[in-house]
Amino acid sequence: MNLEIGNFQVKNVQFGQTSSYSEGTLTINKEEALSVVFQDDHITEADIVLAKPGDDVRIVPVKEAVEPRFRLSGGPTFPGVTGKIERVGEGKTVALKNCSVLAVGKHWGSFGDGLIDMSGEGAKYSIFSKLNNICLVADTDEEFERHEIQKKNHAIRWAAHRLAEYLGSIVKDMTPESKEVYDLGPITKRDEKVSKLPSVVYVMQPQSQMEELGYNDLIYGWDTNRMLPTFMHPNEILDGAMIGASYMCCSSKWSTYDFQNCPTIKSLYKEHGKTINFLGIVMSNLNVSLEQKERAAMFVQQIATNLGADAAIIAEEGYGNTDADFIECFRLLEEAGIKTVGMTNECTGSDGTSQPLAALDESADAIVSCGNVSTLIELPAMETVIGELESLMRDGLSGGWEDDDVLGPSVREDGSIIMANDSMFCGDSVLGQSIKTVKEF
Amino acid sequence: MKKGILYLNQFFGQIGGEDKADFAPVIKEGVVGAGLLLNNLLEDAEITHTVICGDNYMGSNEKEAVEEILGFLEDKEFDIFFAGPAFQAGRYGNACGVICKAVKEKFNVPVVTSMHEENPGVDMFKKDVYILIGGDSAAKMRKDMPKMANFGNKLLKNEEIKGAKAEGYYPRGIRLEVFLEDETPASERAVNMLLKKINGEPFVSELPIPKLDRVPIAPAVNLADAKIALVTSGGIVPVDNPDKIQSSSATRWGRYSIEGLDRLGNKAEGAFKTIHAGYDPAAADADPNVVLPLDALRAYEKEGKIGSIHNYYYATVGTGTAEGEAKRMALEIIEHLRNDGVDAVILTSN
Repeated sequence: MNLEIGNFQVKNVQFGQTSSYSEGTLTINKEEALSVVFQDDHITEADIVLAKPGDDVRIVPVKEAVEPRFRLSGGPTFPGVTGKIERVGEGKTVALKNCSVLAVGKHWGSFGDGLIDMSGEGAKYSIFSKLNNICLVADTDEEFERHEIQKKNHAIRWAAHRLAEYLGSIVKDMTPESKEVYDLGPITKRDEKVSKLPSVVYVMQPQSQMEELGYNDLIYGWDTNRMLPTFMHPNEILDGAMIGASYMCCSSKWSTYDFQNCPTIKSLYKEHGKTINFLGIVMSNLNVSLEQKERAAMFVQQIATNLGADAAIIAEEGYGNTDADFIECFRLLEEAGIKTVGMTNECTGSDGTSQPLAALDESADAIVSCGNVSTLIELPAMETVIGELESLMRDGLSGGWEDDDVLGPSVREDGSIIMANDSMFCGDSVLGQSIKTVKEF
Repeated sequence: MKKGILYLNQFFGQIGGEDKADFAPVIKEGVVGAGLLLNNLLEDAEITHTVICGDNYMGSNEKEAVEEILGFLEDKEFDIFFAGPAFQAGRYGNACGVICKAVKEKFNVPVVTSMHEENPGVDMFKKDVYILIGGDSAAKMRKDMPKMANFGNKLLKNEEIKGAKAEGYYPRGIRLEVFLEDETPASERAVNMLLKKINGEPFVSELPIPKLDRVPIAPAVNLADAKIALVTSGGIVPVDNPDKIQSSSATRWGRYSIEGLDRLGNKAEGAFKTIHAGYDPAAADADPNVVLPLDALRAYEKEGKIGSIHNYYYATVGTGTAEGEAKRMALEIIEHLRNDGVDAVILTSN
C-alpha cells in the first residue's frame, strides 16, 4: 500500500469571512464550521475557541484530539465515523500539521477526559500544549450520562471528527508544502534484500475494556471490545482507521491524533529496508476476563509466528488491569522466540514505591517506560479556562478529586490546581511521543 | 559551615582488630582515621564528631548500641550523618545500615553509607538509606570515601538528585518519572532497544523486572556417608523460645540440640512447638515432627540410608520476612553448618 500525506504547516489560526489557508495561516469561517458541528441534533451548544502555545490558557475537560485531514480519494477521512466504511491507507490525504481539533466539554467532564495547559510548568506534560488548538467547546442533550463518571461523549467526539474533516477539506485543492510517503508492499512480494532482514511486527493493544459499546477505541467504526486480534497495514492506522476512546485514564489514552501520527510506526518505517523488514501491525485489544486476555494473547502469538516475525514491539493503552494483557502477550511472543520490546507507562504511586506494573514476568526484559500516572502535579491558576475548571474535581476525572485529607480539593478557589498525571491529556504518549521515562531513585 | 558526624567500626576507628570487635560505642570529637579524608573532601562542611563501635557489639547488642549512639547524638548539632564505607564486611555493613536508618528516623537528617554489592547490608538497608556502590575491600577506601563526600556535598547543597544510576547508589525501590534531557522520544528508544535485542547486543530496560534469585540444585551427596542437618523456617523452637525469635518478620534464628532424641517432643510435653504466625499451629504443636521431620530421619539413620544427623537443628520464621533478612540469616547459619562439617541440609517450611 502506498499512502501520500500532503502536509500544510499551520503557524497561525484565525477566524475570517472565508475558510482558507495561505502561507501558514488557517482562516476559519466560524459559522460554516459550526454548521458542520450542528449536523448532529444532539449538540445543543457549541463554540470554537482558539488556543496557541504560550497562551495563558488551561483547557479542561478535553475528550478527544483529531488532526485536521481530508482524504482526496473522495471517501470519508474517518471511515465508520464521518462516513461509510472504506479502506484507508492508500492514495492521497492532506493534513493540517502543527494543529489539532480538541473536543472540549462546555461543562461536563468524565473519567477519561484530560487537561492541557498552553504555557508554564503544566505545558511540559502534554504534546498538545505545543500545537495550535482549535477547541470545539460544546454541550449536548445526552442526559442519560450527564452525571455519570463514564461518558460515551458520542455527540461531541463525532462532531470533532466532522470538524477535522471539514478543516482538512480547506486545503484539498492546494499543493502541499511537503509530502510524507508511506509505501509498504505485501509481505511475500518484497525483494530478497528486505526479506532477509529481521522481520518486525508492531503489536498494538488499544483500549477496549468497556463491555458496553460506545466507550472503546474504534477500528473502522467497529468497537474494539468485539474483535479478536487481526493483521493490519500500518498505513491504515496513520490514515484514520483508528478512533480514540472515551474511557481510559487520560494520560494513558491514545487520541485519534496520536493514532494518525503514531511515532512508533514512523520509526519502524524509517528502519524498514535498512535494519528491519517491517511486516505490519498486529492489532490486538485489552480485555476484562482472564480467558479473554489469554485468547487475545494467543491470537497475537499465532499471527506474529505465522507471519514469520523475528521481533516485535508491543504497546498497551492503559495500566493496572491491562498490564496482565500486556505481560501475557509479551510472554507468549518471547515464548515463540520473537524478541520483544514493550512500551507502557507505570503506576508507582506519588512516592514511587509501588510495584510499577500490576503484572510482571521475567520474560519482559526490555521495556520503554513513558511516565508514572500517579505523579502529583501542582500548577498555578491560568488567566483563561476553556471549558470548565470545576470538572477536574467534580466529574470523576481520573487524576482529580473533590477533597483529600492532606492535599485538599484538586481545584482551589484561586484557580490553582493539584492533580495526578493521570488526567494530563494523552500525557504519557505510549504510542511513542513521550520524552519521559521512569528512573530508580 | 555545616556539620557532619561519621560512624566507624573498631578497625577503621583505630581501636583495634577482631579482638576489639566487642568494643562498646564511644563518641570522639573531630575526625579519626579514615574520617580525615572525608573531612578534607567536604566542601562547606566539617566532621565534628566520630562515633566508633565494635562490629560484634552492634551485632549482638543492637538495641543497646543504637540507644547509646542516639544518646550521644542528642545534644549535637549536625546536618548529615555518614557511616563506613563498609566494603564487603558483612557485620560492618549491617552496623552502618542499622545506625544510618536509626539516625535518619530520629533526627531526620540525610544519611550516607557505602558498601560492596555483595555486602548483605545492601539488600537489608538500600530501601531506607543511601548506600553508595563501593569496592570490596579497604584497598578501595581512596575511591569510596570521596564518593561519599561528593554525594554528601550534593545533599548538603540541596542539589537535584538525578537517580540511583546517575549518582551511583543502590536503587531504593523508588521509581519516579523524569523528562529526558536529550528528549529522545519513546518510539526511537523502543526501536533502538529492539535493534540491540535482535542483534544480541546489550541493552538496558527502562523498567527492570525484579530478578527472581534462583538457586541452582546442589550437587548430589553420597547419602550413606552424609552428615545431614535439619533447617526450618517453620518456627519450631523449644517451648520457651529461648532466642525470642519473632512470630513474623523474623530477624533472628536459633540453634537447638537434638542429640539423642528419636523424635521431637510436643508442646504438651513441654518440649517443642511452633511460633510461626503464618499458619495454623495446631498440627505442629501436637507433633513438631510434621514440620521438622526428625522421626523420619532417625529411621533412615538406623537403616543406614543416611550417614548421620547433625546434632543441632536451625530454625527461624518465614512469614513476612524480608528477602534481605532471610539471606543474611542463611549466610550466618551456613557458616556454622560448614564449621560442623555438615554435608547436606533438609530445609523445611511449614
